Amino acid sequence: METRDAEFLQRLLAMFRIEAREHLNVISIELTRLEKGGSRDQAGSIEIMYRETHTLKGAARSVNLVDIVALCQAVESVFSALKNGRMVLSPQAGDLLHHTIDFCFRLVDGKEAPVAAGTVVNDLIRQLHGLTAGSGSAAVAEAGKPVAGESADLPSVELERVAPLHPTPGPDVAEPPDQGAGSGPAAAGAETVRIATAALDALLLQAEEMVAVKIAATQRMTELQELQHQFDAWKKERQRDLSFTIPRTGSGTGQISTEQFIPTFGARLTALVRASEDDHRASASLIDTLLYDMKKTLMLPFSSLFEMFPRLVRDLARTEGKMAEVTIEGGEIKVDRRILQELKDPLIHMVRNCLVHGIESPAEREKKNKPVHGVVRIEVASRNGKIEIAVADDGRGIDLAGVVSAAVKQEMIAADAVAALDDREALQLLFRSGVTTSPLITDLSGRGLGLAIVREKVEKLNGTVTVHAGPEEGTTFRLVVPLSLATYRGVLVRVAEQQFVLPSSNVERVARIRWEEVETVENRETLVIDGRPLALVRLGDVLELKTAVVRQPVDEAFMQVAVVGAAEKRMAFMVDEILGEQEVLVKPLGQQLPQVRNIMGATVFGNGRVVPLLNISDLLKTAMKKAPSFMADPGETPVKSNSVLVVEDSITARMLMKNILEAAGYEVQAVVDGVEAIAALRSGEFDIVVSDVEMPRMDGFDLTAKIRADNKLASLPVVLVTALESREDRERGIDVGASAYIVKSSFDQSNLLEVIGRLI
Amino acid sequence: MGTGRFDWDEIHRKVQAVGVAIDSGYAPGPEESRRILQRRAAQLAQKVEKEGDAEVIEVVEFLLAHEHYGIGSHYIREVYPLRDYTPLPGVPSFVLGLINVRGRILSVVDLKKFFDLPAKGISDLNKVIIIGNETMEFGILADAILGVRTIAVSAIGPPLPTLTGIREEFVQGVTGERLVILHAARILTDGKIIVHHDI
Repeated sequence: METRDAEFLQRLLAMFRIEAREHLNVISIELTRLEKGGSRDQAGSIEIMYRETHTLKGAARSVNLVDIVALCQAVESVFSALKNGRMVLSPQAGDLLHHTIDFCFRLVDGKEAPVAAGTVVNDLIRQLHGLTAGSGSAAVAEAGKPVAGESADLPSVELERVAPLHPTPGPDVAEPPDQGAGSGPAAAGAETVRIATAALDALLLQAEEMVAVKIAATQRMTELQELQHQFDAWKKERQRDLSFTIPRTGSGTGQISTEQFIPTFGARLTALVRASEDDHRASASLIDTLLYDMKKTLMLPFSSLFEMFPRLVRDLARTEGKMAEVTIEGGEIKVDRRILQELKDPLIHMVRNCLVHGIESPAEREKKNKPVHGVVRIEVASRNGKIEIAVADDGRGIDLAGVVSAAVKQEMIAADAVAALDDREALQLLFRSGVTTSPLITDLSGRGLGLAIVREKVEKLNGTVTVHAGPEEGTTFRLVVPLSLATYRGVLVRVAEQQFVLPSSNVERVARIRWEEVETVENRETLVIDGRPLALVRLGDVLELKTAVVRQPVDEAFMQVAVVGAAEKRMAFMVDEILGEQEVLVKPLGQQLPQVRNIMGATVFGNGRVVPLLNISDLLKTAMKKAPSFMADPGETPVKSNSVLVVEDSITARMLMKNILEAAGYEVQAVVDGVEAIAALRSGEFDIVVSDVEMPRMDGFDLTAKIRADNKLASLPVVLVTALESREDRERGIDVGASAYIVKSSFDQSNLLEVIGRLI
Repeated sequence: MGTGRFDWDEIHRKVQAVGVAIDSGYAPGPEESRRILQRRAAQLAQKVEKEGDAEVIEVVEFLLAHEHYGIGSHYIREVYPLRDYTPLPGVPSFVLGLINVRGRILSVVDLKKFFDLPAKGISDLNKVIIIGNETMEFGILADAILGVRTIAVSAIGPPLPTLTGIREEFVQGVTGERLVILHAARILTDGKIIVHHDI
């Protein structure tokens, strides 16, 4: 019995938490709205708050939470006084009420230990009573003269002073989105049901799984179609054969003759293909509709996230000693709840940045002939299936020179590369963590680290973030995120023997490019696509796959590339094959692999195969690390194939060695003897020399001795390859300073490659 | 042959008794019921006592290279045939890759890499033992599954003193038959097995 009661109480408490949060939210919103003043219907706001508090008090009593009951009681009497006009809302009163609501939130969430809470509760109640007592004195003052009227008189003055100062961002901008969320119990009729979000999430996941069924159905259909084609081809072939021989039917044996079987089988196969096509069409449209509706069910308007911002801006402005308010547009636009959740932190960061760094102090603004009140604008718009969110302030903008010099100080960018930066690139430096940690540029401190987190979060959503700012133009952050998660379209590519999916949203185009079009600029391979130069990187290299051939295959005139971009970066990735585009359902890699470099998830194809989905922003970063660029440390060694000088007088041996080495990815130059070798070494750069011993003019021993004697070449590894297997010869090789001595009889390619690999 | 040895009278009697019992719907009398139940109760009580004496664990025995390993069945979710897997670039070598278990994606760990055992080619015999607790789940590559065994805890000796580091952590002990009992709980909670790479 007791446990059942306890269980019931637990359930009741869980219900209460949900309900209480809603009431507290509404109170908080209305209170902020009331404080802002100027809004129509002040009495309405007070009435709503009063009612909500009353309901909350009743609910708290039913679960026996005495602290909340007592607090509600005190708050209720304040609202009652406001309602009757016995007092006016002063900033202090507003602060106290907000503080009380926050405290209630914490009590509800169980973040406040009951013992410690007791004194705070008493303290708050005493203060709240003080407010109404003050109003009592104000009531007295009506008859006589104002007593300690600070709580009653000052606010009305401030309200009057504040109201005319911000006539432009009228209530029509800020109000409508809030209305839907905050209109309270009146909106909740019999038309709606309250369902736990966890239950809805589970349903959505299941609906998303249906995509896998659809993809599998497509696969089955294609296989059946292929089967039919094969059968038709075979039938045709067979009929041609049969026309030459007289058909002999095995009549009388009681078995079905081949001639009867084939048409029946063919007809059934055709019918099966038709049926599977119909099934596929029907199931695809059902699943698409289901998923669409399911997603719509789980979409939430931005206003549900934005309702906290007026309050946030108010609090921040107060602590920073600034005056600011927020205007919101597009709050009614709906987006996947999971995206909304992930956007919460980035948006808070950006709004905070606007207030802390963007908007100037009232005095400074006055000096600049700006309205004393700064404005933070949040605008949401939906464009081409994506959501664009702009967070802008009318503050001092960003000091570009400061950003760049901070980046130089942090050695994120070489000083001589600064000139090459355009404004857009310079602004992107803001998003790199560390730029801000520099204490020398106080203006930026705190800014960049937050922004690095913003970028990371947004990129995880497969979105982008950019910033636009100029001196005294204010700062605008622009986020672009997809409308919903999980279903992607992806471009399927093959590298070596493996397949990967690139998110289509990041793939700007795919192309076939002639090898001749590749040119190196500053040791980096580049392409020109659509008139813009692009860095070319091999996807296999970035992923560190063991690709056997990294050079141009002999029989291929073209290579296939995918041009991908994220944020402001674009690059061309070379792949072995582009296999097509299709819908994919992204799944996590499992609990053991919470985060893998360059990979953001995996998808299951119709044939059951698991294919990794690549993380474009990771890939771009990895590629930047590997290839030198204006962003990278100039001291880094570029990734280029090692070059080998082959010295060999026999043309066959020379060609053989050249082939082996080139297949292994080395750059090879071949010469016929020691004299030519020395000349080549003087004019070019090599990582290693592989030489025969017996050669005309200058043999391998002499060549090695010459190399060791040369100041510049002394440390160059030299591998001697020879038919001479005598001990004396080997000793002589060591004497002259050869790094390795390979005897031709034991000479196979793996041995040679291993030795070279060890020496370079 | 040998028919003469049957006691036909006795058989007839028994058949008749059975027939009577069937006809009467075979309801043992209250006296008999109690006796039967008591006997069963005694049997059951005895068994529990016996098991209480020696604590046993049930393990799935499998091969890693040429060595025999066992893992407690308590942590095993299922054993899945390894038909196909997708290797991942940029992960430590002990991660074999990903498999598709009825539409769910699961990573597979090759413990041989931890135990310095020689790699063996992947064949049809390979199985994936899926282990998990509340917060973690992954597959372990087994070269072959040998079966389920019950082992007395007392029969598990301490791990060999020569084992050090990760091998010592992952092994619960070794039996007299040199069956290495893995410490599933520890393997599941060990941070070293989790791949969390930042770029």
